[in-house]
Amino acid sequence: MKNDLNSFADEKNLSDHILDNSRSMISIIDQNYSYVKVNATFCRVQRLAKQNIIGKTVGNLWGIDIFQKNIKEKIDLCFTGETVRYEASFKTPETEIRYFEIIFRPVIYEKGKITNILADTLDINELKLLKGAVLEKEEELRKLETNLPIGFLRCDPDGKILQANQAFLKIMECYDDKSITNQNIKDFYHDKRFFDVQYDQLIKYHTKNFGRVSLKNCKGVEIPCRVSGFLAIDDCNNPSFIEFAVEDSSRELMLENRLLQAQKLETIGALAGGIAHDFNNILSTISGYSEMLLEDMPKNSPMSEKVARIQGAVLKAQSITNQILTFSRQLEQEKIPVRISEVLNETIGFVKSSIPSNITVKSFIHKKDAITFADPTQLFRVFLNLMTNALQAMELKGGTISVAMTVVEGVLVKHDLKKDIVADEYALISFEDTGVGMEPSLLTRIFEPFFTTREVGKGTGLGLSVIHGIVSEMEGEILVSSRKDKGTIFYVYLPLTKTNPVLSDNNEKRKKILFITGNKYESRILSLALENARYELIYVSDHNHLLKVMTNIDERPDLVVYMSDSKKVLPEEFISIFNKLETATPCILITESGHEFLEEKLLNSGLIMQYLIKPVSLREISNAIQASLK
Amino acid sequence: MAGVLIVEDDDELREMLKESLTRRKIIVLEATNGKEAISHFKPSITDLVVTDLIMPEEDGLKVIMKLRELKPTLKIIAISGGGKAGPGSYLNLAKALGADAIYSKPFSISDFISKIEELLNIEQVL
Repeated sequence: MKNDLNSFADEKNLSDHILDNSRSMISIIDQNYSYVKVNATFCRVQRLAKQNIIGKTVGNLWGIDIFQKNIKEKIDLCFTGETVRYEASFKTPETEIRYFEIIFRPVIYEKGKITNILADTLDINELKLLKGAVLEKEEELRKLETNLPIGFLRCDPDGKILQANQAFLKIMECYDDKSITNQNIKDFYHDKRFFDVQYDQLIKYHTKNFGRVSLKNCKGVEIPCRVSGFLAIDDCNNPSFIEFAVEDSSRELMLENRLLQAQKLETIGALAGGIAHDFNNILSTISGYSEMLLEDMPKNSPMSEKVARIQGAVLKAQSITNQILTFSRQLEQEKIPVRISEVLNETIGFVKSSIPSNITVKSFIHKKDAITFADPTQLFRVFLNLMTNALQAMELKGGTISVAMTVVEGVLVKHDLKKDIVADEYALISFEDTGVGMEPSLLTRIFEPFFTTREVGKGTGLGLSVIHGIVSEMEGEILVSSRKDKGTIFYVYLPLTKTNPVLSDNNEKRKKILFITGNKYESRILSLALENARYELIYVSDHNHLLKVMTNIDERPDLVVYMSDSKKVLPEEFISIFNKLETATPCILITESGHEFLEEKLLNSGLIMQYLIKPVSLREISNAIQASLK
Repeated sequence: MAGVLIVEDDDELREMLKESLTRRKIIVLEATNGKEAISHFKPSITDLVVTDLIMPEEDGLKVIMKLRELKPTLKIIAISGGGKAGPGSYLNLAKALGADAIYSKPFSISDFISKIEELLNIEQVL
């Protein structure tokens, strides 16, 4: 070093040499903001000779505006004795706009007073760009970490949590992310020893997929998770930390269970359908022989009542086999375009008329025009069954049933419906009660036939399985969620069709049909089916009402349907009214099987154009009506 | 004298149907499955066939097609009790294939007999 020093004239030359070779622009500025001294780098960047800079002010060189706005106050501050450091971007004669770090240092003291400052300006553009890139990458990683649905967790070999990402906190429902680092991963296991087992495996394999592990979240609720572990080893081959990837698999598990459940229902359906088939054979034999018995018995035999009871029992059994066949989707439904809100309102009206005072029914029906392909009788049955269930769940303490209907897009509910192909739109109808609710373990089984939570002997346990069958047949879906002691919600999804149920054009006058019936339930179903099919319906259930309607010429119907259950309009009364009015209105008689003799008078009166024997399908009624109106 | 062939695999049910017809002085022939019905078919003495639809061997639909081919004037009644592909659709298929009447089990035997008498043009004795 000493030799090197000798090659310089003096120490001043040495320091000038160092200054000139610095990467920074270095200058000395006096109190008049003039440059007293600059290094070679400064001259090169400014593309000016040294003598052309010395004596110029900072403002001369960089522009008065910039000086006044950005530089002056910093220089002034430096003259008070403070070192000022800041970053700025600007253009120099040598370069485009770049980032610089500027440091003003008070340097020369004369009698304790600052007379000059040293300005050191370093090009930090590359650094700045790199820093920006790093920050950007960091941000990307942070976003990835936050948005990734996979929980990530790092802990020490004892299980003490060192770090956890947002997804992990979310899966575990830990909303206090500070406290997580005070916890141990073992706290999330049901049995802490399970961690030791996994740890041993990690020591052996370093990385291991543990499959489905049930973890306990921060609220103590069990969450089914998929867990993989990675063990990091330090230079001395000792475990340094463990990383876990944790995925919430409750949804996956739920879908699996649903699929299993669907397969189970399918199997039971096939089985039950086969049994129902055999039973129908047996019932045919029983009913056939009992009919023959009745025929063979002398009229007014005391035994005929007993045989009638056998026939009654056959009818009851037949209704059960029919329900089983509906559940197993083996009974054909007569589907027509149906406005769902109409059926829903009918059901609500029907239920409201008979509910106890401690139960309230609320309805929120949007999208009143939604139309689906359905057998309205069956749809009515679905809604009625769900509402009846809700009523029963609230039998003891009362409560509220909320019925809501809206329309959802198929693609949005694809997952919920576990279907590959979905309709464009679905009506979503929900039935929510505030009743006793159900244990989660029961939920998966409620659609199985013969499954019931009621006492033995109260109901067949077929109800929900039957409506499940009906909804499935409509390509819809029925889902349930429930909480013990809180209540239950059933969700019914029905695919919508664009077909308009009103077939008539508006110019054509709707035909008036008068129904004489004593059965409220039946008339509601009829009205659903027939009002859609362009008829205007009038119902009468008693003699006086009938007389009133028939004597008013304007109200007189185009067709009369007389149902044999009309206890308040006897056949004689019916005949007398119609004969008196001398009307030519066509009449249809619908009668119970085996009761035809009751209507003998009617049939002989010449008033009846057609007669149907129950059970009759809607299509048969509809055909008869069309034929009679021609 | 009219002849009716009953094709039904359930023995008791077949027996019951047979008795209900013989007391109306109708000659009854029996077959326990579709295959037997087709191979033993006697067109000259059979005016009407009552066939179950779901049976082992040949099913009822095959019986309807085959027997109509053998005797175009044959009257046919299909009966079914559900199971497999569904009674509604099965019975409707039978109707489409030319069955004159269809009955879903269990059915009223008196309706059934009247239908047979109507199809065979037998005066109903009231």
